[in-house]
Amino acid sequence: MTRHLFKLVWNRKRSNALMILEICVSFLVVFVVATLGLFFFDNYRHPLGFEWKQVWNVRVDADQSGGGPGGGTPEQAAIFARLLKEVRAVDNVEADAGASVIPFDLGGMSGSWTIDGKDVQMDFAEVTPGFADVMGLKRVAGRWFQEADAALAWDPIVIDQDLARAVYGAADPVGKPFGTPGPKERQRRVVGVVSDFRKSGELMPNGNFLFQLNSLSRPEARPLRNLLVRVRPGTSPELEEALVKRMQAVAPDWSFEVRPLTQVRATSSLFFLTPLIVAGTLAFFLLLMVGLGLIGVLWQNLLQRTREIGLRRAAGASRKAVHSQVLLEQMVVTSLGVLLGTLLVIQIPVLDLIGVLSNRVFASGLLVAMVTMYLISILCTLYPSTLAARVQPAEALRYE
Amino acid sequence: MIKNYLKVALKVLGRRKFFTFISLFGISITLLVLLLATALLDHVFAAETPEVHADRMLGVYRLMMKGPENTMISQPGYGFLDRYVRPMAKLPSIERIALVTEAQTVVSYLNGRKIQSAMRHADGELWRVLAFDFVEGGPFTTADDENGRRVAVINETTRERFFAGQPAVGKTIEADGQRFQVVGVVRDVPLLRYSSSADLWVPISTAKSSGYKQEWLGHFYALILARRSADLPQIKAEFQAILRGAEKQLPDPKTFKTLTAGADTLFEGAARIFLPGEPVPNPGGQMRAALLVLMLAFMLLPTINLVNINLSRILDRASEIGVRRAFGASSRTLVGQFLIENLVLTLIGAAIGLALAAGVLQAFNASGLIEHAHLQLNFRIFLYGLAIAIFFGIFSGVYPAWRMSKLHPVQALRGRSV
Repeated sequence: MTRHLFKLVWNRKRSNALMILEICVSFLVVFVVATLGLFFFDNYRHPLGFEWKQVWNVRVDADQSGGGPGGGTPEQAAIFARLLKEVRAVDNVEADAGASVIPFDLGGMSGSWTIDGKDVQMDFAEVTPGFADVMGLKRVAGRWFQEADAALAWDPIVIDQDLARAVYGAADPVGKPFGTPGPKERQRRVVGVVSDFRKSGELMPNGNFLFQLNSLSRPEARPLRNLLVRVRPGTSPELEEALVKRMQAVAPDWSFEVRPLTQVRATSSLFFLTPLIVAGTLAFFLLLMVGLGLIGVLWQNLLQRTREIGLRRAAGASRKAVHSQVLLEQMVVTSLGVLLGTLLVIQIPVLDLIGVLSNRVFASGLLVAMVTMYLISILCTLYPSTLAARVQPAEALRYE
Repeated sequence: MIKNYLKVALKVLGRRKFFTFISLFGISITLLVLLLATALLDHVFAAETPEVHADRMLGVYRLMMKGPENTMISQPGYGFLDRYVRPMAKLPSIERIALVTEAQTVVSYLNGRKIQSAMRHADGELWRVLAFDFVEGGPFTTADDENGRRVAVINETTRERFFAGQPAVGKTIEADGQRFQVVGVVRDVPLLRYSSSADLWVPISTAKSSGYKQEWLGHFYALILARRSADLPQIKAEFQAILRGAEKQLPDPKTFKTLTAGADTLFEGAARIFLPGEPVPNPGGQMRAALLVLMLAFMLLPTINLVNINLSRILDRASEIGVRRAFGASSRTLVGQFLIENLVLTLIGAAIGLALAAGVLQAFNASGLIEHAHLQLNFRIFLYGLAIAIFFGIFSGVYPAWRMSKLHPVQALRGRSV
């Protein structure tokens, strides 16, 4: 039976080849859109590692053209410290902190460090001791930064669980040195571990994260670009104006822009989801087009085969048998298209083309694409095959 | 002859209505998407207000400093532009040069309401390089900039937000903790016009601190207006020569060794910003190639689909073709006839696509998804659409036409399959 089916498909190889190509390309389109969607969904299910709902960010624009590579001068760092104190004293402010990078923001700092011969990729941020309270970080081991850390002879760092696992495996990282310092650098030492911190938000994959302390009082300290404020629930937006006025009074030459993290998050979601929405809409219309095209082509093909079908009917085949023959033939064609598409898609993990795609997301994307193509194929075959099954033997045998 | 072909084509379309419908559906959706993409590109790059001189305008939008270990890419700083680019205005081929910052969000609080505006710092030349539509007052001048006067030009949206649409010239506006006197109001510029869109323009010298004056990397653009568009290649070459000279005077010669930048048209500038990685010598060409590849990739599936449908249609007409072959029609005639039929079909689809595009654009503008966007169809887009439709028609017609011409007369007359 199966061999017979393949023979039937092979006999019409030219018109079937085009259909296989069409199904293969559609399969690829569905795969890309489905994988992108599943990638976001898979990321979305994991915890963020921080709380953002009551947090506002103030972008602080000092004149950072002077000074070292990060910009700014120690005097400006001192002004930043005064700003922190000023804001903390405002009613309805629960905590505040400075940070070089804020959650959900598209920018950031990342790099790769060689630790014990291993290349470890990570994002990092410089923060002041208040950061853990503002963002509601969950401590897993050790401790968070303290004001007194400024006096240490080494650089304290806090890492997230991912990074701890990548560098130290199952061992307890607290108190251990982190890599070997370069010339003019001080030794870094882990003081604590927090649960996975996903700076880029829910839609992006979990990555390694490292916090460095900026104590603002050391001679090499620089001002930070962001001042994060945790406000009491129910605080009215009017507090924004009061905050800016107070900060403006401390540093009249600087610029301040308040943005609640809800707004930063919305912007970043839009940035990531827009491509998915556009691609999804396009894919929907492409599939509709392909579906309609398949109905037309199948219909025409079956019309061509009226005699063959009539002969089968005359020889005693039931309508159902004709139905299932047409359907099965189409399944063979679809399978060939899907197989070709799968062979192409498999090259992605084999050649390691996209690093961030987990195997689970990849496999689910493949599955979704397969199921979609079979469904479309079946749907498009139903009407033409019903027409074919209705063929009267007498009429068909007469047909020229 | 062609008239005959057209007649046959229309008759054939009328005969199998379902096939005609699915073909037209595919073609019009494909062309709709391509037309929308074209309208968006036209909206960003066309020579329209305020960039009416886009054909003879260049900009320095990106600067890269590179050393053995460090690479920094950003907008150029005022220090670099003032020292190396501004003096180019003395060249006989250059009419004038303006410096302007990229737009930055500033916040104002008005009666407890928060207003966010995109602000640019600019010199007096900006208003003569770009041609804004003033609805009230006029621009600020180079003298205003030199004397640090707190004056501002705002757009209509800002006037609406601050003054409820009442005349604004002479009134003051508070932004980012500074007060400015409004001297002019211009029509809104779409957000995607990256060198000219803003809500608020103020003189460069009103910046809160003067640190920008030394910066090599910062957030400034230089806009260069040439006298004739034919001079652009020469100005680009001149800019590269100046860049080589500037390389010898880098502020930190140990860390950074080379400078890379370009005097770019609007399209090249956008390409330089969008293309990932380090700058390439010819960003415009690469962007064009990337767009072409994207277009072809998008057209792949609709093309296969249409080829498939077309082949089925031919089978339907096997006996007609057989007769024509038997009476001596050459393969070439048949290919020509089928291509024309397919072109007629594509052009009808394109017309439907154009009508759909007009509707979608209207809905898009009304949605306010992109600030101040006013996308619309125009003659340029119509021409592009026509070119795309003809290309699509030929692209999807060649293979079926070839197959049709290969049909054996005897087989065809018997109504057998291809």
